Amino acid sequence: MKSGNVCLALLALTLAAGCGSGGGSGAGSSTSTSTSTSTGSTTGTTGTTSSTTGTTSAAAGNVLAVTVNGSLCSSSTSDSYPNKPCVSVTVCTPGTATCQTVNDILLDTGSYGLRIFSTALTGVSLTQVASAGGGSLAECAQFGDGSSLWGPVMTADVILGGEDAVQMPIQVVNAGFGTPTGCGTPDDSPAVAGFNGILGVGLFPQDCGAGCANSANNGMYYSVSGTTTTATIASLASQVANPVAMLPVDNNGVIVQLPAVAASGAGSAIGSLILGIGTQANNAPSSVTTYPSDQYAEFLTTYNGASYPSFLDTGSNGLFFPSTSLVSACTVSGFSDWFCPSTTRTLTAVNAGYTGSPSGTVSFSIGNAVTMFNSSYRVFPALGGRMSGGFDWGLPFFLGRNVYVGIDGTTSSLGTGPYWAY
Amino acid sequence: MNNKISGPWAWCIGCAVSMLILAPRADAALGGTAASVASDRAALSAVHRATTVRGAYTVQELQSGSTTVREYVAASGVVFAVAWNGRTHPDLATLLGSYAGEYRAALRQTPRKRGLRRQQVQSDQVVVEKWGHMRNLQGRAYSPALLPSGVTIDEIR
Repeated sequence: MKSGNVCLALLALTLAAGCGSGGGSGAGSSTSTSTSTSTGSTTGTTGTTSSTTGTTSAAAGNVLAVTVNGSLCSSSTSDSYPNKPCVSVTVCTPGTATCQTVNDILLDTGSYGLRIFSTALTGVSLTQVASAGGGSLAECAQFGDGSSLWGPVMTADVILGGEDAVQMPIQVVNAGFGTPTGCGTPDDSPAVAGFNGILGVGLFPQDCGAGCANSANNGMYYSVSGTTTTATIASLASQVANPVAMLPVDNNGVIVQLPAVAASGAGSAIGSLILGIGTQANNAPSSVTTYPSDQYAEFLTTYNGASYPSFLDTGSNGLFFPSTSLVSACTVSGFSDWFCPSTTRTLTAVNAGYTGSPSGTVSFSIGNAVTMFNSSYRVFPALGGRMSGGFDWGLPFFLGRNVYVGIDGTTSSLGTGPYWAY
Repeated sequence: MNNKISGPWAWCIGCAVSMLILAPRADAALGGTAASVASDRAALSAVHRATTVRGAYTVQELQSGSTTVREYVAASGVVFAVAWNGRTHPDLATLLGSYAGEYRAALRQTPRKRGLRRQQVQSDQVVVEKWGHMRNLQGRAYSPALLPSGVTIDEIR
């Protein structure tokens, strides 16, 4: 509020709660949609210029290929985007065989739900989800870096790998839909966001949960009628859903399986997203420890004598944690977000379930980010940077591991979700 | 010092203090007076949840439908830091008060870094950090010059 008259301002504030206007106009720019009839399991994709590491376990119906900066990532959105894991997802007009396979979908264990830019979904016709008050249900999805995605919630048939099509609410990202509210400056194109869409396969079945079903002042869901946007409740069934949780089978979580990459890096890497935990021959857990998480999908990491809330996030492209005397930030202009030890440092931390047990030691490496970014490679197992207040185990953590993501309220031989296991 | 301000009295005190000292930032949070916490509460449609005294300062916790905001008030009565967590990042135009303009300018100069799920924006007088993930977005804002002596940045969370 910028009023000079404080008392009037205070009065106005009590009447007009939570003002905040949104800008945002225009639709997206670049699109890189492939309209193939792929079943989602690519085998033996080879990097074009430099080294590619790993393979995907091909034909099984519950497997999606994942390429880290490889063929499933669009070159138009991936510039200056190291450690970017991409999958492709098929979206169909509900109840029909009219389908479109969209590449360049960021695999994200740090969010929940499928979000695709409207400009990348031109081949299908989706159904608007109604809000409780009869308008069009829309959403603002915010991320850790302050970026946001705005757009309507629409019903689509979604196909993951070789699974059957399942009808579910997704977010069709479109900053020009109605009047974005409480959403800052939402990304208005894949080029700005750095992807065509996001596949959120984290620990929860909906992106918001009970909080948005019970309160209109939830900060995420809105009802759009013409140019009017109002905060609204959204029932669990109308919230954007984690597509894995919606599957009739293989719905208790996922395994993210990425290959180890040489310390110096690789041009790209190929792995798999396996649907279900202990539901098929190819997803039986072996030799893993289960770390229960709290209601925020967080567990505990102890590092350098201090304990922090932590999470596993394929959508974060580095290992982010509080800076200490052990590793220093880059001093090169424009790189201060990253760590730059003169030689690669091997560090350890202890991860534990949110109550403190079980626990296990993790060894990890932090290298010089400037050296990495100056190389021709794009996949870096030792990329990290400073973050206050928590420990974000981003994509480098997943390289060379099978990480199990157990969805809240489901069970497997590893226990009852929410849990992380590896 | 008032370290427990809530209810309708807060607005009256806020008006009185504001008019007495004619501070342009009195309707704001960061850099404002303790009374400004109450106007933030109104602007964020929040309720006052708790007041915690921690040695050199007091923490006022406000709860809105989507976010918990913690305002750090020095013994002098000045808000020197704000931290939050919740489903959304809060409206910083409200919480940063008179620093909102320079924050916006610095934000425009901060290039987007793809894949980096944290953001640090630094202007002359204020540092704003955001991080976290869906269902628990977090952040803090502070003015280094206003930090009471002996208080470390790690205490702001």
